[in-house]
Amino acid sequence: MSLALEVRNLRASIGSIEILRGLDLEVGFGELHVLMGPNGSGKSTLCHALMGKPGYSTTGSALVAGRELLGEDVETRARMGLSEAFQYPTEIPGITLRDLFEELADQRDDGDAIRARVSEAADRLDATRFLDRPVNGGLSGGEKKRSEIFQLAVLAPSVAVLDEIDSGLDVDAVREVAEAVERMRGPDIGVLLITHYNRILQYLKPDRVHVMVAGAIVQSGGPELAEELEERGYTDLVAEFGGPTPDAGEDDFLAGL
Amino acid sequence: MRPLTVDSVDARADSEIPWLTDLRRQGLEAFQRLPMPTSVEEEWRYIDLDFDLADLGLADKPGAPMTPGPYDVDGLGRATIVDGSVVVVEPADGITISRIADADPLLLAGAADAAIPADLDRFSAASYGFGGDGLMVHAAQGSVASGPVVVDVQAVTPGTLSLPRIVLVAERQSELSVIILYRSPDEGVFHVVPHLQATVGDNARLKLTTVQAWGTDTTAIGQQRVVLGRDAHLHHGEAGIGAALGRLHFFVDIDGPGAHSEITGLYFGEADQVLDYRAFINHRAPHTTSNMFLKGAVEDASHSVFTGLIRIEAEAQRVNAYQTNRNLVLSDEAGAESVPNLEILANDVKCGHASTVGPLDADQRYYLMSRGLDRLHADRLQVRGFFEEAIARLPHQQLADPIRAAVNEKYVRAQDEGRT
Ligand SMILES: Nc1ncnc2c1ncn2[C@@H]1O[C@H](COP(=O)(O)OP(=O)(O)OP(=O)(O)O)[C@@H](O)[C@H]1O
Ligand SMILES: [Mg+2]
Repeated sequence: MSLALEVRNLRASIGSIEILRGLDLEVGFGELHVLMGPNGSGKSTLCHALMGKPGYSTTGSALVAGRELLGEDVETRARMGLSEAFQYPTEIPGITLRDLFEELADQRDDGDAIRARVSEAADRLDATRFLDRPVNGGLSGGEKKRSEIFQLAVLAPSVAVLDEIDSGLDVDAVREVAEAVERMRGPDIGVLLITHYNRILQYLKPDRVHVMVAGAIVQSGGPELAEELEERGYTDLVAEFGGPTPDAGEDDFLAGL
Repeated sequence: MRPLTVDSVDARADSEIPWLTDLRRQGLEAFQRLPMPTSVEEEWRYIDLDFDLADLGLADKPGAPMTPGPYDVDGLGRATIVDGSVVVVEPADGITISRIADADPLLLAGAADAAIPADLDRFSAASYGFGGDGLMVHAAQGSVASGPVVVDVQAVTPGTLSLPRIVLVAERQSELSVIILYRSPDEGVFHVVPHLQATVGDNARLKLTTVQAWGTDTTAIGQQRVVLGRDAHLHHGEAGIGAALGRLHFFVDIDGPGAHSEITGLYFGEADQVLDYRAFINHRAPHTTSNMFLKGAVEDASHSVFTGLIRIEAEAQRVNAYQTNRNLVLSDEAGAESVPNLEILANDVKCGHASTVGPLDADQRYYLMSRGLDRLHADRLQVRGFFEEAIARLPHQQLADPIRAAVNEKYVRAQDEGRT
């Protein structure tokens, strides 16, 4: 059986700047993997490279449930089963989440299933209040993350990539978001969670933890690796594997924040 | 057809109201003197007119009215103006709706100050000089109407010029609500110069929505002026949808302390439409506020123009004035001009403007597509959202659905035909 997500020697650049420099990653169905790494190491770039954001040129391979993503447009990648919660979700003025789901349901053959998941997930995640507000419009940082999780619950993907969904959340919200992630798990989905904090890992049981430095995964291990990183930081790894980007100046580093 | 010559002036239209009779005389005089405007003049920049009013003629008698269209909403009172002549008047409780010629001169006394100058340009001159019997809508002091007066302004006789004229008066402490629907068939060439003036008395409120649903070969050169008294309140909405050339040259004179003007508009150009907005917001009293919010989109080879001037007189301290104009350019051949301006003579004011012209937002498209929408539908949603902000702020929400449908249909049609 294929893996949920299988990334092989993935390179991604923006213009002439290469940010991902040969990344390998395997997330099996039913698994939850955690990706950590210093600011500017390329975690969000991995998300956008997988999703097909315009402006990124990629080589290598990225398979979702055995199907190649690279070369496909964004919509096709979403339909192939990849969904992401973005670190900085875009505001869509004048369009509510309900409008978005309606449009999606209208377009899809499984529209009724989408509608059913909307009401089910809205109840379960206490997210009804987001439905009639503009997408990410006027939402607090924490609310945006919860709205992203809500959308992923509706989209029911094969691979969910969650980019810092625990940043900017209060203590209770971290637990609730973690619970939502835990509930998202199942035999038909692989989850990749990007985080800077152990806090969310109190509530989640990751199968693997990976560390990314300078556009590649430099270390992988069990849940204990996250705790280890908490204590020793990234200094050693950065010294060994390179800075945030090749010859990164302070400007590049700040841009990654 | 009646040509625009002095001996063609219809005696029927002469009124008992001295200031209007004066304006007619001034209009006739100015029409002899003023040439057709050219794009050299600041107020006509970007616009090329390819006709002369002198070559056009007025309908001998009004043609048969059009059947109700998508913007037909229930009104408390109604009036229909066809080819420049008032043909139907259905009165309303508490509001006087009548032909100007039949109106009590006293009711129009307060309207003189809001008259559009006869020598503004050749179009205004023609309106006064040759315009037919205008329409008056009058709310008496303290009256509060429970619904809008709907004025259906039509041009129906192909090849003619029509000069519809509307005078609104909201006396002190009254609340007046008016919807003006401008339309003409798609078949046939029409030229129209609508004149609209409104007087909003002390503490009075005017809710006014104008919908330009002109046919595809109609040239509409609209002129409009609103004068606000002390603590008066204007809430004006405008939707520019139809016309080959649809122009609105408008003035809001904020003459009374404490008055507020709120204007929300949207426009959508397709084919080779030209949609042209010239806004002059004049703060002439202290503690007055104004806000203008205009959103437009252009596709195909259409063009839009927005020039806005907020002028704040020296005596108008403590003024708060804002202007926003956002434009979506949806094809390479389309274009949008956006030129907001401030002229501030007072020193204690808060003033600003924001203006953008650009394509659809790539980040929004990416986000929506990442949720599984294809590009067409993602863009459709983005265009809908773009206008939604303006639609939600229109004063008459009963028009929201048909206006929303009209702009969204324009875009969907263009997408379906591969024009974007
Ligand atoms: N559009 C861009 N143009 C140029 N450089 C970029 C662009 N986007 C990202 N980068 C650079 O790529 C590197 C990786 O950025 P990325 O956002 O992927 O980091 P990250 O690991 O997600 O960091 P953080 O933990 O701060 O979110 C950074 O050095 C950043 O400055
Ligand atoms: Mg990031």
